Amino acid sequence: MSEAPFIQINDLHHVYLRDTPLEITALKGVDMEIHMGESVGIIGRTGSGKSTVVQHFNGLIRPREPGKVLVDGEDMSDPKIDIKRVRQRVGLVFQSPQQQLFEKLVGDDIAYGPKRLGMVQADRRERVKWAMEMVGLDFERFKDRFTFSLSGGEMRKTALAGVLALRPEVLILDESTTGVDPRGRKELMARLLALHKEHGLTLVFVSPNMEEVAELVERVYVMDDGRVVMSGTTREVFSQPEELFQHGLNVPQVTQVAHDLRARGIGVERVPVTVDEGVEEIWKILSSCETSPLVSTYQATR
Amino acid sequence: MSYVANAILLLVTLGLVLLSGVSLKYIFFGLKPALPLIIVLAILQLLFYGDAFTPHGMASRTYFRWGWIHITNGSVQLVIVSAARFVELLFLTSLLTNTTTLTDITHGIEDMLKPFSRFGVPANELALVGTISLRFVPLLGEQLETIMKAQASRGANVAHKSKLEFVSRARQVAAFIVPLFVDAFRRGEDLILAMQARCYVGGRGRSSFVRLRFQRMDYLAYGVGLVFSVLMLGLQSYFPF
Repeated sequence: MSEAPFIQINDLHHVYLRDTPLEITALKGVDMEIHMGESVGIIGRTGSGKSTVVQHFNGLIRPREPGKVLVDGEDMSDPKIDIKRVRQRVGLVFQSPQQQLFEKLVGDDIAYGPKRLGMVQADRRERVKWAMEMVGLDFERFKDRFTFSLSGGEMRKTALAGVLALRPEVLILDESTTGVDPRGRKELMARLLALHKEHGLTLVFVSPNMEEVAELVERVYVMDDGRVVMSGTTREVFSQPEELFQHGLNVPQVTQVAHDLRARGIGVERVPVTVDEGVEEIWKILSSCETSPLVSTYQATR
Repeated sequence: MSYVANAILLLVTLGLVLLSGVSLKYIFFGLKPALPLIIVLAILQLLFYGDAFTPHGMASRTYFRWGWIHITNGSVQLVIVSAARFVELLFLTSLLTNTTTLTDITHGIEDMLKPFSRFGVPANELALVGTISLRFVPLLGEQLETIMKAQASRGANVAHKSKLEFVSRARQVAAFIVPLFVDAFRRGEDLILAMQARCYVGGRGRSSFVRLRFQRMDYLAYGVGLVFSVLMLGLQSYFPF
C-alpha cells in the first residue's frame, strides 16, 4: 500500500486522570496505520489499551505531545478542525451499544445522526432505510417500533444502524458484538464483511474473540500493556501461538488444532485461521494418506 | 475568633496533609469547586455583617460606610476567618476521602452506629444505603461518559449552543439523560436480584470479613486529637478559635 494511510498514529501516549493520585497510564507509545479499504483487527487482553487507541481515531480523545494522530492528513490535536466531519467519516460503535438508544421510535433513533448532520427529511429517510437494510432490520416492520421494546440483539442492530446511517468511510467496532447470540453474531459479521467487500467500507475490529477476528480481518495489531507488541497479517500473527500466549491471548481453535498436528509430526502446509481453511487443510492431509478408511467415508460425503 | 488561632489551625491542617503523603497540589485542587461559594459568602459577610460582630480584643472601627453598606474591622475579620475555616474544613474532608477507602469509612460508620441499634437505629441498613449510593456515583459517571462519547460519535454536539434555543438544547440533553436513567434502573434491578439470589439479609448476627481494630496509630491519632481539642477549649481566653 503506497498511498498515505487514512488514519496514522505515531508515538501515542495517554494517561487517564492525569495529575491525580489515581492516574493510569493507558498508552505508552503506539504506532498504527489504517489504510482505506482494508480491514484491521486490534486484539489484546483487557486493559491493554485497545479502546483508548480507537477513541483517538475519531477525536473522542485528542492526542497530546509527542503523540500524533492524523486522520486523512488532518492533525487531530488541532482544536479548530471540523470534528463533526471527522466523526461522520470515522464511525465508532461502542461495547454494549444498546446503551446509546434514547428516542421513542427505532426509526427516529437511527435518524439522530443524519439529523445532526442537517439532512432534510426525505434524505434522512433514505439513509435510515439503507442503514436498517444493512444491519438486517426490516424498515417497514421496525421503523415505528418502540426502542425499548426491542430485544437485546435488535437494540444492538439499531445502534449499529444509527452509526451506519452517517455513512462512515471507516467503521470501528469496539467489542460491539459481545453478548450477541452466536447466530446473530454470524449474521452481523456476514453483513459487515459484505459492507467491507461491496461498499469498500474500512473496518477496524476490536475484539477479544480470536475466531471473529480471524474471520473478519486481513491484518492484526496485538496490544499489551499500552503498546503494540505484534503486528502483521492475520496468518502471520496467528502462526506464533507462543508469543500470543505470553500476551494473554490465544489463537483460534482451528489454528490451535493445526499447531498440535504439526507438533505430532503431521505436516500442515498452511496454518489455517478460519474454520473453512481448517477443513480444507485437514482434507488435504487425509487425501495424502490413502490407506485411511476415513478418506473414503469423507469422499463419499463430499 | 482571632487571626492567630486560625493561622495555627491552618498550619496544623497543612501539617496533617504533609504527614498523610497526599499530594498538596491535589488537595488544593479540591478547593476549586468550593471557590465560588467562599467568594459569595465573603461578599455577603463583608456587606451585611458590619455591626453584628465585634472583633476579639479590638475596638470596633468602621472602614467604610455608604447607605446600608457598613464595613468594619469586625466584618473584615469575619470574612477572613470564615474563609480560613472553610479551607480547613475542606482540607480535612479531602484528607479523609483521599486516605481512607470507601469500604473502610462505611465499616467505621457501621461500627459507630452499632450501639444505637438497641434503640432501633438500623445501623447496618444505613451503612448499606451509604455504600451503595456512593458506589453508584462513579459508575454513573463512567456510564455518562460512555454515553456522551457514543452520542458524540453519532454527531451529537457536546459543545454549547445558544442559550435561547431551549427546545433543541433540551432535546440534546435527552440524548444523554434517557440512556443514563435506563441504565441506572437496570443496574438497580440487577443489584436487587443479585442480593436476593445470595439471600441477603442485613443486620443482626451478620459477621463481617473486615474487622476494624484499634491499632497503636489509631490511639495516637485519637490522643493527639483529644489533646488538641482540649487545648483549643482551654486557650480560648488567649486567642479564641
